[in-house]
Amino acid sequence: VSRKRKRKSRWPAFEIVLLMLGILYVSPCVLAVINSLKPLPVIRENPFALPASLYLESYRFLFTEARLAGPMVNSLIMCVIVILSLITTAPMAAYSMMRRRMATGKLLRLFFVAGLTIPFQVIMVPLLKEFKTIGAVSVSAMDHVAPALGAEATSYQTAGQAFLAQLPVDFSYVALWVHYVSWGLPLCIFIYSGFMATIPKEMEESAALDGCGPVATFWRIVFPLLAPCTITVIIFWGLWIWNDFMQAFIVVGPRAQLVFVQLYTFLTDKYVKNWSNIFAGTVVLSMPVTILYLAMQRRFIKGLTAGALK
Amino acid sequence: MSRPARTHVRDSKWREVRTSLILCGPAFALYGGFIVLPALLGFAYSFTNWTGWTNNPDFIGLANFRELAQDPWFHSSVRFTLFETALMMLFFTFATMALAVLLDKLRTMKGLVRGMFFYPYILSILVSALLFRYLANYREGAINSLLRAIGLEVLAQNWMLGREWAPWFIFALVAWSGLGFFTTLYLANLQTIPTDLYEAARIDGAGPIKVFTRIQFPMLLPTLTTNSVLALITGINLFPQIVVTTQGAPGYDTFTIGYYIYHLGVLNNRQGYAAAVSFVTFAALVGVAAVQVSLLRRRQVAL
Repeated sequence: VSRKRKRKSRWPAFEIVLLMLGILYVSPCVLAVINSLKPLPVIRENPFALPASLYLESYRFLFTEARLAGPMVNSLIMCVIVILSLITTAPMAAYSMMRRRMATGKLLRLFFVAGLTIPFQVIMVPLLKEFKTIGAVSVSAMDHVAPALGAEATSYQTAGQAFLAQLPVDFSYVALWVHYVSWGLPLCIFIYSGFMATIPKEMEESAALDGCGPVATFWRIVFPLLAPCTITVIIFWGLWIWNDFMQAFIVVGPRAQLVFVQLYTFLTDKYVKNWSNIFAGTVVLSMPVTILYLAMQRRFIKGLTAGALK
Repeated sequence: MSRPARTHVRDSKWREVRTSLILCGPAFALYGGFIVLPALLGFAYSFTNWTGWTNNPDFIGLANFRELAQDPWFHSSVRFTLFETALMMLFFTFATMALAVLLDKLRTMKGLVRGMFFYPYILSILVSALLFRYLANYREGAINSLLRAIGLEVLAQNWMLGREWAPWFIFALVAWSGLGFFTTLYLANLQTIPTDLYEAARIDGAGPIKVFTRIQFPMLLPTLTTNSVLALITGINLFPQIVVTTQGAPGYDTFTIGYYIYHLGVLNNRQGYAAAVSFVTFAALVGVAAVQVSLLRRRQVAL
């Protein structure tokens, strides 16, 4: 009796139903993979059939006409520099709020965490104006639409614009970097400061007695202990920045050489009806995050929900 | 030792300030300069007729707010946003709870099935939007292909841009990508329920429904609060999904407040008015979320 029961409990109907539901749930992604390997007429015929022969033209198109390799490198670089900026500035600030005997520490934490409530739409337009005044954003979404509406796009030029225009750097990417970092700070400081409250102070105190200054104490003693938080921040913001379309589109403009802006721009331009190309694009650009997700699913889920669990 | 005490105090104070500056300065400058300052500037612009191109916007007092009270576009975008928000709050607080309770019961393939439901959350908004655009496409989309294949061609329609289905299309898109996130929060909470509670219920002969109503539901209330507030925020701020799918069409049916701000501020040079719209919405959102949190907290204590 017991053996029969055991076998029954290993594959009961309940488990199978949920598994089926799960497969149904990800089926749009499966469809995308299947159909990226078929030419358009075949997709039209029957989108659910497996490809009879592998059609790789769409993938070739992505890396030739659509030139997606450059934006992929750019997006990766953007991820790395934003994450590096976040995992240096945020824990330092959190440390100074939580540990130094700063009378305003708590107030300062509240000031940063309040930023979590600000939606992007509220700061979007004034932020663009600010970047334009500094001169960092010259080819912004605003400039892009202005000529179409008959407005004089460059009716005035600020001193900052005149100065930065001489330098051989596209400052709209610097602006985007600055925006990403400041946009990420509230959540990072929230996570780091919450975690810091759980770390014992003794080690820092003994380091201080040994003559270690507070900044050095932070980097040598505290920062390594914050590794779990740092991993969370890397996963969360790495994914967020790689996947971001809207903010890059607004700050840098439709010509931004970043993956999802490019995907949007070239797909909405003339190839919008070619689903084969669209599917290949979504598959290629989701591939890095998917591989990482499969490799460390638990870490990923934990990292992505960490902010809300507090 | 030979140093006068006063200098020493001043010295250490200066050192303290300097340390704080080194540690906190960069974060403060970035956050203050590029989040707080634009937010405050936006508030100031909401009292002007700034178009985004002139250097000196004129102060026009409360005119923007008066206009907003009578703006039919604004009203229709508020209505649509509230409709979507209501759907999302119901879905993300209750449907996800049911799914979490079911997933929690899994004995095998736990990671695999959970992983599948969570997966769409890690995809870019643009990817999920493109996939849904494909599903909904009239001529060659998957839904209509399926309907045609099984002889239900009459039901085929333009799911994304039809008047009737566009709101549900947007909802389905957001629900699909967000489901895993909200479910995971419930799952994490379910894991904190002590097993002896389940043991006791089993001994008392309680069925799965009793276990849910008497043990799981009350224990999940803190997450219910969190999820309903997060769903509220998701709904009210609904915006990029519109840009990459309907762009407000058909007509102005799927204009959300966020999209209306984008439409005014970025596409139509009415920055002053856009700032007014964003501030009214933001203030309302903060107010509603605060009331919601305090109400749900009180209920939690009462239970």
